[in-house]
Amino acid sequence: MFRSQRLALKYFAAAMTLFGIMVAAGLLASTYYVHDGFLLNKLDFSVAKMLHIDTMVIWLLMGFIGSVYWFLPIELERETEGIKLAEIMFWIFCAAVAVVAAVFIFVQYGPATEMSLWFVNQGRKYVEAPRWAALGVTLVVLVFVYNVVATAIKAKKITGIIGVLMVDLIPLFGLYLIAFPSITNLSEDQYWWWWLVHLWVEATWEILIGCIMALALLQLLGTARRIVETWLYIEVALVLGTGILGLGHHYFWIGTPDYWLSIGGFFSALEPLPLLGMVVHAVYDAGAHRMKTTNKPAFYWVMAEAFGNFIGGGVFGFMMTLPQINLFTHGTQWTVSHGHFAFWGAYGCGVIAVIYLALQKARASAQLDGRLWKWSFALLNIGLVGMVGALLVAGIAQAFYERAMGGSTLQAFMQGQSNVWFVQGIVMRAIFGLVFALGYVVLMYDLLTIGKRRVAAAALKPHVAGGPA
Amino acid sequence: MSAAQMLSTSLLLGTFVLLAGCYGLLYCLARLRGSGRLGRAAAAAYLFQGLATGLLALGSLELWWKGLLVASFVAFAAIPPLTWRFLERLHAAEEQHS
Repeated sequence: MFRSQRLALKYFAAAMTLFGIMVAAGLLASTYYVHDGFLLNKLDFSVAKMLHIDTMVIWLLMGFIGSVYWFLPIELERETEGIKLAEIMFWIFCAAVAVVAAVFIFVQYGPATEMSLWFVNQGRKYVEAPRWAALGVTLVVLVFVYNVVATAIKAKKITGIIGVLMVDLIPLFGLYLIAFPSITNLSEDQYWWWWLVHLWVEATWEILIGCIMALALLQLLGTARRIVETWLYIEVALVLGTGILGLGHHYFWIGTPDYWLSIGGFFSALEPLPLLGMVVHAVYDAGAHRMKTTNKPAFYWVMAEAFGNFIGGGVFGFMMTLPQINLFTHGTQWTVSHGHFAFWGAYGCGVIAVIYLALQKARASAQLDGRLWKWSFALLNIGLVGMVGALLVAGIAQAFYERAMGGSTLQAFMQGQSNVWFVQGIVMRAIFGLVFALGYVVLMYDLLTIGKRRVAAAALKPHVAGGPA
Repeated sequence: MSAAQMLSTSLLLGTFVLLAGCYGLLYCLARLRGSGRLGRAAAAAYLFQGLATGLLALGSLELWWKGLLVASFVAFAAIPPLTWRFLERLHAAEEQHS
């Protein structure tokens, strides 16, 4: 195994640990809705929510970085260039995440000074990490870019997938720089902040996961390179074609000019079209290979990714993307419902698929299967669908009673919060959150043991056969 | 737009895309299994999507969005067969190549 792949396994371990923290923080955040005053003045809702969202970003980012470190030496047939530096950056990354989490939990807030921006919290959703840590993340991504580019140059080989990846890494790094400035005009600040959030999530991350899935399909189904690369180019064109100006759906109500209503609505409405193409491709591939694979968990998680992306991003997004509807739905639990489903479908499932793929090779297991992964697959997906369904009901109640009927007054807000549909939706979300958490526990146990159990059973057989009767 | 119109329109929009997904999935399964019944189910899903489009066209969205939805409805019809044909050609060419 290459050193780069050993580093990838470390990244996967860190990613799955952060996934667990994200789940725990999510459960905590859901509890505040059910029990008012829970942990009041000790660990407020905003802190739990911040932990939940930021760990989500970081576990996915670590999963992506780990995936690339796993596939890079296979793709370019050599060790990753600058691997020592990459290994150092991994530990710096982990230490920075731990320190930031500790500051969020124990310090929480600082005075309204530059010092707080540097050492406590930058105050922007998704990128709250203080500046020193944001600089650290920038450094990690820079070293990651160097690793990929330098390895390709040394190998004198740039495959189609690596070419797309190298181009994608430029905005992945560049857009993160928008996390730093402190702009006092809220509209202007939001305008640029959405570049970071939307263009990471609906452009650079989409391309990154597209490259990772392409590399995974080469391994998982033995799909021909030309097919995978052709499809990747089409996906890049379609995703960027609809996704970049789809950014406009975040500009509806932040003080930007009216034309964003048309631009954002139009390009967002086109976004489900390429997602349907991806579903067709997934079904075609599954049929072409007659669902036969040596790694069933990875295969099913890849399938879940295609369908989850379509339903979470396409169906749930389309319900609320046109400005006339979005006027009522934005900022409600409806949006939260879409966000949960889309992130899970587009990215979470993909990262889990790659981890199973890597474990198969790392544990030299010819066939990866069993019962536990099916349980975790079912629990996680049922938990997720239950959560987003419950959040959808709660969000509809908010949009209907608080916004459309109540006119968004404070009184309407309070009535919306006590509406029976909202309350029941919030309780059901917490219950399905527990189902999801149980799925996570089973997933972790399976990841720690899959491939090893078969070896242990095989090792036991000759002993039993040759042992005393 | 009233509260009831907002709710019915948003649910119809979700149904619109969901039915497009059902149509695409059933179309693929029909092609994979060579099943006429699944093919008819795909056509039915597309017809229901047409119904959703019709209801949205009669609803309270602005004319511009109604036009976009009708155009999307037409485009959704072509995506599964075109993608499927493209994938078949790509795979056939690759098999010949290897």
